[in-house]
Amino acid sequence: MKTITRRSALATGLAATASLAAGTARAQETFRFGLAMPLSGSQALYGADQVKAAEWAVAAINAAGGVNGKKLEMISLDTQGDPQLGIKAVTRLASVEKVPALILAWSAVVKATAPIMNDNKVLGLSVGANSADVAKLGDYVYTTYPLADVDIAALARYTASTMAKKKAALVFINNESGIVAAQVYRDVFTKAGGQVVAYEAYDPKATDWTGSILKVRASNPDVIHVQGVVGDIPQVIAQMRQLGLQQVVSSYSAIYNPKFIEQLGKGAEGVIATSLAPGADDDPAVKTYIERWKKEVGREPNGLPYTQYLYDAAYVVAAIFKSLDDKKLPLTGENFRKELIGIKTFDLPLTGQLVVNENHTVSKPVILMEVKDGKWTKKAVVS
Amino acid sequence: MLDPAIIGQILWSSFANSSYFVLFALAFALVLKVNGVFNFAQGGVMTAAFYAAYTIVGTAKGPGWLGFIGGLAAAVVLGIAIEVTGFRNLRLRRASPLFVFIFTLVLTELIAYIAMLIFGTWPTTIFPSLYWPVTLVGGIAISEWDVPAVLSAATACIALFLFLRFTRSGQCMIAVADNSELAELYGIERNAIYVHTMAVAGLMVGLGMFLFGARAQVQPSTSIELMLFAVVASIAGGIGNLWGAALTAVVLGIIQNGSVLVLPSEWQGLLLYIFLFVAIIFFPSGIKLPTRKLKVSRRATELDGESQET
Repeated sequence: MKTITRRSALATGLAATASLAAGTARAQETFRFGLAMPLSGSQALYGADQVKAAEWAVAAINAAGGVNGKKLEMISLDTQGDPQLGIKAVTRLASVEKVPALILAWSAVVKATAPIMNDNKVLGLSVGANSADVAKLGDYVYTTYPLADVDIAALARYTASTMAKKKAALVFINNESGIVAAQVYRDVFTKAGGQVVAYEAYDPKATDWTGSILKVRASNPDVIHVQGVVGDIPQVIAQMRQLGLQQVVSSYSAIYNPKFIEQLGKGAEGVIATSLAPGADDDPAVKTYIERWKKEVGREPNGLPYTQYLYDAAYVVAAIFKSLDDKKLPLTGENFRKELIGIKTFDLPLTGQLVVNENHTVSKPVILMEVKDGKWTKKAVVS
Repeated sequence: MLDPAIIGQILWSSFANSSYFVLFALAFALVLKVNGVFNFAQGGVMTAAFYAAYTIVGTAKGPGWLGFIGGLAAAVVLGIAIEVTGFRNLRLRRASPLFVFIFTLVLTELIAYIAMLIFGTWPTTIFPSLYWPVTLVGGIAISEWDVPAVLSAATACIALFLFLRFTRSGQCMIAVADNSELAELYGIERNAIYVHTMAVAGLMVGLGMFLFGARAQVQPSTSIELMLFAVVASIAGGIGNLWGAALTAVVLGIIQNGSVLVLPSEWQGLLLYIFLFVAIIFFPSGIKLPTRKLKVSRRATELDGESQET
């Protein structure tokens, strides 16, 4: 029987240590970043598709040779769109995974986790949260998605000026996102010469909106803007039509999907939605992207524009990693932030050019879509 | 705002929309009365009923009546399964009411997660369209969903009343609810009655979820939110008082919707919690209206007093 001497044990130990060190070195050859999104719970209907889009982008980048020959690695954690779970996820990404940058969404989650990103000097890229407050959350919180004051403001301005609607009614969900967007709409519409004749917040758990809608009906508006979530906007609009409100109804990108038209039928005619990304008719790359969804998943993505931004966010992260690697700079959150501002303009595959402003906002044109003859059709491009 | 047409519309819409809430409240109150369980697993039964109907109508493109039967069947089968495999075992182990309550909560969450894994989290309806055509009657919009919903809920209430009053199984339920041990001494098979109760509650839930899913979008977590209304109605209507729970469900719906005439709309949700808070603190036995019995006893006391004086 062979005996294990102290010398041979030491040699084995050294070899094992060397092997582990080599493994760690290999691990460091990947560029790691985080992703904190709803993968379960009621918000996962959007979150899961957005994560899939980001995964496709990472796979595409790696298939094309990675970033300077190194693989891009995305660590995804679930937030359920809940601030408490968001805090846990971001803390883990910052303290345990020690990523220099992470992508996240949902206004409440971004707001709750901003202090963690600022304290740990980890760059947080908000992609989809549209609360105007996102731009004021500190040095390390940026967005690649136009905030509410971009699309809602453009819509309100267009409605008052170009469509010449003078009296608007607002029906909005009583949460952070709904309140901020309604305030933006009210302020811009009023400034453009219009008048807000009804301003109705509704409970997020409401299943019937008769009272609010009747108040709107009594105010006799020219246009009604609904700012809710995908689960209730179609019901609110259906109930409006049932209660005899035939005015122009507008909303935001949450309803820009074919299912909305199927659910409302003729009641959907004339409804206007905002879109912050080019559609299949505008860009062949988007057409190919949608066809891939249909082929691999069997449907179009939920919230198509959001998924386009998530897809492109991976390219933003890859561009910053490349720049830091080219300059041989340490992969810290501090350098990541400097490089984001330094690069400033990104040409992205699915949403076009992105300009990151110093005030933590981005500049993008807003596309207004309208339901005509049972189809979403482009109404205007406004900025 | 205090236009008769607006008040009439609010009253009608609230009344029509309370149809499913009445059924949920009745089912919850019935199980609480007979089985003695705060059955939050009803949320799971609601989820199962909706997705069974959705699978048949929405996914397999089957006819609506088949989806309706599928929803009822799923609710009844799951309700019975919960009683036989869950509640019965917990009773045998002499589990505390708190433990049983926790079991029902966990079960509802479990079923919601299973539904999420199978059906995803996209909000769905049983029928493709949410839009029900309306007819104006005296300035009040009545949709094609409203009348069948009210009629079917009313029919279910009458059927339940007749069932409890005139069938042997229904009478046994009342006996078990009053005193289960005494009922057993009289030869009533307690466990069988508990199963019957869960089946009847399942029918109520199945019908309620079909009505709800025909006019509103449902996600796996929706039923948990809907349950709160049933719980508030059951407590405020008087624990063990079926018809009190049903009536409270209607009144709560009207008050919630009508409140927008005098309060900001965002207060609608808060009102429900205020009702729950007030009911638990000030009316732990439910809000009771003066009864004839009370008047009779008072009159008897008066007569007694008169006879003593003479």
